[in-house]
This record gives sequence, C-alpha cells and structure tokens, in this order.
Amino acid sequence: MPRFDEGRPEMTLEEFRLLRDHVYAHCGILIHENMKFVMERRLWPRLEALGIQDFGSYHRYLRYDAQRHAELEAAVESLTTHETYFFREPAQLKAFCEELLPILEKRNAHTRRLRLWSAGCSSGEEAYTLAMLLKDSGRFNDWDVEVIGTDLSRRVLAVARRAEYGPSALRATPPDLLERYFIPVGVNRVRVRDDVKAWVNFGHHNLADVAGSQLVPRTDVVFCRNVMIYFDQAARRRVLGVIRDRLCPGGYLLLGHAENLLSLGADFELVHLKGDLVYRRPELPGGEGR
Amino acid sequence: MSDTVRSPAGQEEARYRALQAVDPRAPGALETFTTGLHDESWRVRHAAAEGLRRVPDAQGVTARLISVLGERGETGARNAAAEALAGMGPVATQPLVHLLEHEDPDQRKLAADILGQLGHPEVEDVLLRALSDGDLNVRVAAAEALGRMGGPAAARALEGLLDTPTPLLRLAALEGLASLKRAPPLERVMALVEDPALQRSALRLLGLYAPGVATERICRALASPVRSVREAALVALGTQAGALGPYERGELDAVARSVLGGIPGVTERVAQALDGEDVQVRAGALVAAGALGEASLAVPVAEVAREDRLLREVLFTLGQLGPDGRRLLLEGMGTLSLPARTVAAEALVLLVDATSVPELCALLEWAEDDLRAVVVRALGRTRSPQAVAPLVELLADPALSGIAARALEQLTVAHPLASLTALEAAVEQRATPAAVAVLGRLGGARVLPLLRRLARDEEASWRAAAVEAAGRVDGEAGLELARGALADESPRVRIAAVRSLGQQGGKEAATFLGLALKDEDRGVRVAAVEAVGAAGAKERSADLESLVRHGDSGLAMLAVRALTKLGTVGAGVLWDALSHPDAEVVKAALAALASAEASADGAALAVSLLGHPRWDVRVAAARVLGGLGRPECLLALEQALSVERDALARAALADAVARLSSGR
Ligand SMILES: C[S@@+](CC[C@H](N)C(=O)[O-])C[C@H]1O[C@@H](n2cnc3c(N)ncnc32)[C@H](O)[C@@H]1O
Repeated sequence: MPRFDEGRPEMTLEEFRLLRDHVYAHCGILIHENMKFVMERRLWPRLEALGIQDFGSYHRYLRYDAQRHAELEAAVESLTTHETYFFREPAQLKAFCEELLPILEKRNAHTRRLRLWSAGCSSGEEAYTLAMLLKDSGRFNDWDVEVIGTDLSRRVLAVARRAEYGPSALRATPPDLLERYFIPVGVNRVRVRDDVKAWVNFGHHNLADVAGSQLVPRTDVVFCRNVMIYFDQAARRRVLGVIRDRLCPGGYLLLGHAENLLSLGADFELVHLKGDLVYRRPELPGGEGR
Repeated sequence: MSDTVRSPAGQEEARYRALQAVDPRAPGALETFTTGLHDESWRVRHAAAEGLRRVPDAQGVTARLISVLGERGETGARNAAAEALAGMGPVATQPLVHLLEHEDPDQRKLAADILGQLGHPEVEDVLLRALSDGDLNVRVAAAEALGRMGGPAAARALEGLLDTPTPLLRLAALEGLASLKRAPPLERVMALVEDPALQRSALRLLGLYAPGVATERICRALASPVRSVREAALVALGTQAGALGPYERGELDAVARSVLGGIPGVTERVAQALDGEDVQVRAGALVAAGALGEASLAVPVAEVAREDRLLREVLFTLGQLGPDGRRLLLEGMGTLSLPARTVAAEALVLLVDATSVPELCALLEWAEDDLRAVVVRALGRTRSPQAVAPLVELLADPALSGIAARALEQLTVAHPLASLTALEAAVEQRATPAAVAVLGRLGGARVLPLLRRLARDEEASWRAAAVEAAGRVDGEAGLELARGALADESPRVRIAAVRSLGQQGGKEAATFLGLALKDEDRGVRVAAVEAVGAAGAKERSADLESLVRHGDSGLAMLAVRALTKLGTVGAGVLWDALSHPDAEVVKAALAALASAEASADGAALAVSLLGHPRWDVRVAAARVLGGLGRPECLLALEQALSVERDALARAALADAVARLSSGR
C-alpha cells in the first residue's frame, strides 16, 4: 500500500509550537499538541504552493515575507474546521422558535426590526437556517429582518454566498423545509431560495479583532455555536466581550450544546427556557435599553 | 426589576453571582461558601466549591469539607464537598487517609473515592489496605482509586482481584487495569471475557495485547447482538491498532479479516459504528473497515474525517480499500462533507492510475481551490500522457501553477516529448509565463533562443520567467540575461535576475549581487541576500555583515543565515546578532555557532542565552551547547535544567547534559 506521508517534510515539535503560537496570536484558535499531525497535513499544501521545503522556513515566511498577511490567512483557513449543516442542534432551534421568537416579536413590535448574527457562520448553513426559521414562524414577514453571517475564512464565505449545497449539508433538514426553502439545481444539489437569501448578508470578521467588530451592527440574538471550542480561556473572554458589545441590552446569546460560560459569564445572565439554557445581556438599569 | 430576577432562574442567577462576589479572604467566607455547598442548584454549588478552593486557610477548609461529607441525606452538598476536596491538592491527603478509618462505611467510601481523584502515589499503601475493608463498597472504591493512580503494587493487587468471587470487585479490577494500561497474563482475561457482566471491560483490556489470539477474540465479539459489547470490541481493536505504527499492522489486519469475514452483516455494523458518537469506537471501526477491505465503506470511512483526531487513520484506511473504494469515492465526491472531501482527495492521490485522468479532470471543474491542488498532484501521479494537457493549462492558474509545474516534471520523466511539445505550444500561445519556467527546466539548450526573445518581452512577468529559466539552462547565457535584467525597471524582473545569479555563482555573479544588495526595492534586497548565500559569494560577506544590525529583522535574519552558509561569521557579527531583539535573528546566530569552529567564545555566548526569555531560543542554545561538546559548559546546563519549566526546553537541556556527561 502506498504511504500517505510519502516524501513530505515532518514538523518538529518546536516548529509546531512556533506555528501554533503564531496562529493563536492572530485569531485565538488554540491547536492542541495531539493535533500536530493534522496541522502538518493541512499545511503541506501551503508549503507546496510556495515551494518551501520545511516548516521552519514556513514559519519564517509567515513572519517576514512581504506576502505574510495573505499567507497567514491561507494558513488559518486550512487549519480551521468548517463542519456545519442546516438545522444543526434541533432542540436549541426549537427553543429559539417557540420561546425566544415570541419574546423578540413583542420586544421589537415598535421598531419592526430584527437583527440576528451568526458569528463563525462557516459556509452559511446556520445563517440560512435562521432566516428559514424566521420565515417559517410567520411572525416577521413584513419586518425589516437581517441575518448577518460572519467568518474568519474567506473561502467558506464564498461558498455561503453561492448558497448551493449537497446532501451532507442537508442531512438534518426536515423534508418539508427542504421542499419549501430550496430549489434543486442538479444531481443531489440544491440552492437556497432567493427570498431567504434576501434576508442574509455575509461578511469577513475575525472574532478576535475587537476594533473590527464595530462593522457588525447591534443585534438581538447572536448564535456563536461551535466556534469558541477552539479558543482558550483568554481568547474566549475577549470574544465574549465583543459579542456582548454587539448585542442590544436584553439580547440573547446562544452557544453550541457542548459550550458554556462557566467562570466566564459574569457579563451575561443565564436564562432557563423550557427547552434550553441560553445567555442574555442584562438590560440597562431602569430602561428599555434600545 | 426584570423578569429574570423574579423568576426562579433569576434567583438562581442572583445566588450564583452573590457567591462569585464573595472575597475568599474576608472573614466568614468559609461559612458562606459552605452554605452554598447546600444550594439546590448545581451551578451555585459548583461556584461554592470553587470559592472554597481559594480560601487561604486550606487546612480549615479541608476540615470543614470533611465534616460536610458526614451529613447524611445531603447528597448534593456531599458531592460538592467531595469535588472541592479533590481540588484541594496535597493538603487534603492526610485528613482523607484519616477518614478511611471512620466507623461509617459511607464516609470511608467517599474518602477512597477522593483519594483516587487526588492521585497522590504515596497513598497507594493505604488504599491497598482498604482493599480488605469489611464493607464491599469501600473495597470497590479502593480498587477504583487504585485503578486511577496506582503503580506496580496497585496493578498486582488489582490483578489478584481478578479471581475474587465478588463480581463488582472483579469489574473494578478489570477497569482499573485497563486504565492503568497494565495487561495481566492473557489467559486470565480470556477467561473473564466469557462472563456477560465482565465482557465489556475484559474486551477493552484485550486491546492492550499484541495482535493474535486477543485480536481474534475481540473480533468475534463483533458478532454480539448487544451494541455496547460490539462497541467495546471496536474500542479494543482501535487500541491494538493504535499501539502499532500504521504500516505495521499486517498481522492484526490478517487476523481481523479472517474473523470478521465470517460474521454476517458485519459491513452494516461497521458502517453504523463509523457514524457513531464515540471517537474511540469510530477509531476501531476504521480498523475493522480497513481489515475488511470493504470498498462499499469508502464514503462512510471518509466521513469520519469530520473528526480531526482521526484524520491519520482515515487516510490509512482509505488506502486499504483499493481501486473499487477509489471509484466509489470519486463518484461520491459531490456528496461528501468538506472535511471528508479533502481526505478523500488526499487518498485518491495515492490510489490513482492511468485510467483516472478523466475522473480527476471532472473534479477539477467544480472542486474548491485546496481540493484542486490535491487533484493536480494526483494528475502528476497518474503517469498518463493524457494528464499533460490539463496540467499545462493549470500553469495559468496562479494558485496552482507551482504544484502543476511539479506535477508536470513528474510526467516529463515518463513522457518527455509530449510534455515539451505541449509546453512549447503554451508559450507560443502566450498562455502563461509559468510555462516558461517549466520549459526552461525541462527543455535544455534548445529553448535558449526562445528565452532570449522572451527576455525582451513587453510584459514584465514574461521577462522575469525567461531570465530565471535561462539561468537554469546555461551558465553563460544565464549570466548575460541576468546582467541585463538587473537594470530592468520592474522589481519582479530584477528579483528573477538575482535568483538566477544565485544559481550561477562565480566572480561576476558576486559583483552583480553586490549591486542588487543595494537595490531600492526590499524584495530585490531580500532575494539578493539569499542569492549571496546560495552562490557562495564570500566576497560579499562585508555587505551582509552590515545588514545584521538592520532594523528590518527579516533582512537581518537572512543575512545571518547567508553568512553561516558562507562560513564567514565573525565574532563581532555574532555579538550583534545574538543581542538582536528578534528571536529568529538570535536563533540564526546560534545556528551559526553550531556550524562554526567550536570556540570558547561561542560556547560562552550560547551559555549566556540559556536564560533567554523565549523558550525557542533556550532550546536552540541548549542544542548548540550539546553539539559543541565542551565539558566546562556542563555546570551551566545543569543549572539551567534545574530551573527550566518549559517541556521542550527541558528536553533539549537534558539531552545536552547527557551528551556532555557521556563525552559524546
Ligand atoms: C465548526 S464551524 C461552526 C459553524 C456553525 N456556527 C455551526 O455551529 O454549525 C466553526 C467556524 O468558526 C470559524 N472561526 C474560527 N475562529 C474564528 C475567529 N477567530 N473569528 C471568526 N470565525 C472564526 C471557522 O472559520 C469555522 O468556519
């Protein structure tokens, strides 16, 4: 059997740490030591594309080359996991629809405006899912609605904008919703319908970039699911600060089901819905807060 | 007041926050937290336990926590206290050892549990004694605790328990041995694996043995109608495989194949396990799928790549699924998730043959950029003349041209004529300058006239490609074109000229490089520094030395590296470089030390860096000192080792100490 690591340079532990620290400083993603193999594999193509022989030289390239910024993006791109699919974590989405949407409808009745942010949206499935759920609720049809999807990776954003998906993205999509919100565009592939797309906007944003977050509008709900699992405590704290700042007072934060704000959550209050636990940015004292 | 505060959740939140606000040093904190341990909400209890850990009077806290352990009926509080005690560290050990003597067996059990969690080896004896406690629960807890932290004596004791008549103890012993990774004689485990109550644990333990009898028994368990038994077997199979290198699995795979092949419906079961939640189960399922060589599993196997940690195994397994698996993967590409698609493509690179070209080209049509890169590599490996044309075309894609060029070189070995013709045609049609570079590498002297013509092209990119290519073809023509190109108005062409000069070497090249080192463009200067090193142009050393102090640390670092290559690093330069604020410059200087004649001065410089604030500099200094072999540095290394906290630096220091002590 042919060897899968034939003729490729190996990454020493030292090179691993230097590269890892560099990536961490850029975007807060922490790569654990047992992931050295994964890192090595994901970066090989970069070395190959640049004609670089070993990881030490690659590290120096990332530090000094005139193209270093673009290359760091390319590196982070290949190192991040973009796994996502439509209607991921259905229990949480159910709680969102049944319990949060009515609250939001009431709260924003006077502005008839609703903003949702899918932070770390990957290839867009989550953002579109939210738009579909809003449509399906029938509550916001003539409202000013926008779902903002942001991600660090420009490559996934391109996929998100194209809005065409295959079976793996649709593996949890209920058949009736598939019927209602997608149109077939070829064998096994579908496209998100235009009226859903019209509610969704994508943009590039590094959650670790506090200043850059000003470009994200104030939102009523933030979904930041399965993103912070890759960060360490300090990076999480920073990102939570950004999220809090971008949430309207009284706005909600929904995390992935394996995530929580234990020992981090002083800025958020825990809200027990019937179907889920969510976090909320406290109201401003003595006011409506919008 | 907001809704949240009035609601039960809000009240919980308020209590939670109140506890978080308590200053652990304030008087009364101990009691406040202890009250919190009794809260109805686990979150509040958790916060209380956390708080207790920060109260300064650790002994007082321990004593108070132990008293909470005695509060019968307060399950939540007792668990929280146990959790807090487990976090207290060494201070809790003695009081807990003492608690093991308590008359209430419940408390003795809790003590054993917590001691297990604390994991201090010195309580091994005490726990061994607790194995003969009058109360079964205490004995079981002691066995479990020993399984968490025990040394050889604990392992022996657990092994002894494999024969006790009490099933619970036997179970704890099996589990403990598995977690200690201690394998008792195989026959003893093989006997227990037939007992339904012990089967799962015994199976997991079987994973610790070398392939053979154990593998066979593990694989037979995949016929079990009970899912958890099958999963335990898969975990064991994964453990067995994990202990071997991926290419040392011949025997294991052979045994597994022979047993699994006889189990009806095994393919569906493996497919189901591949889709499961547990990572270890999936790892084992990959081994089973690979051993079976079952091509129909190719797609589910590729999907396991959604779990990063299993990437290596997925790649290996896909390699085991043969040409049929490859075909299925290629057909299924469009339906795979992104991570699966990437590994599938990786695996395809290794499995392609001359018949794969059309399928690979079809993939090129729609795949994402990084996938396309993999496909390009695969095209090179097909060794098919049909792959030449698409690869030449890909030279025009800036993201892929480097990889396409290398793939073409691979093909040229097998089909020189077809490749050259296609490249020449591409250049004639002005498809892309990247084709010129490849042509220069492969075409030899016969393409020189073409290169001369292109060196006068209107577009800089063509001029640059021609100049660099000429350098590879012919020294004299290369030098001539490079000299002209150094006066080009485009930095890109000047960089190409510099690179070409770097390859030529010789006196004239050195002179020209001297000019390039003073170029107004940073890119040209960077290329020139590297080229001086590559060309072995010692006459330019002085120019490089002046760059070592340059504020652009990239240039400084490259200058030190180039000087090292030239073998002309002087002490003055070293001092400058070693005191540079950028760690990469310092490391480059250390590398120079290692390659220079071992001077007393050099050793002293390296010693001075053993206390550098950056771990990577300390590592580099330790390596150099290990290599220089000067015994007088041993003391400094030992001292540095005694205070070093960073794992990598420790390893480097320990290695250097060992080398110097043994006089290697
Ligand atoms: C596993 S996906 C999760 C996608 C989606 N939220 C879901 O749960 O299905 C994680 C995404 O977070 C993005 N990400 C990671 N670090 C980020 C950062 N610092 N800023 C913005 N996005 C980031 C990655 O690019 C990736 O697309």
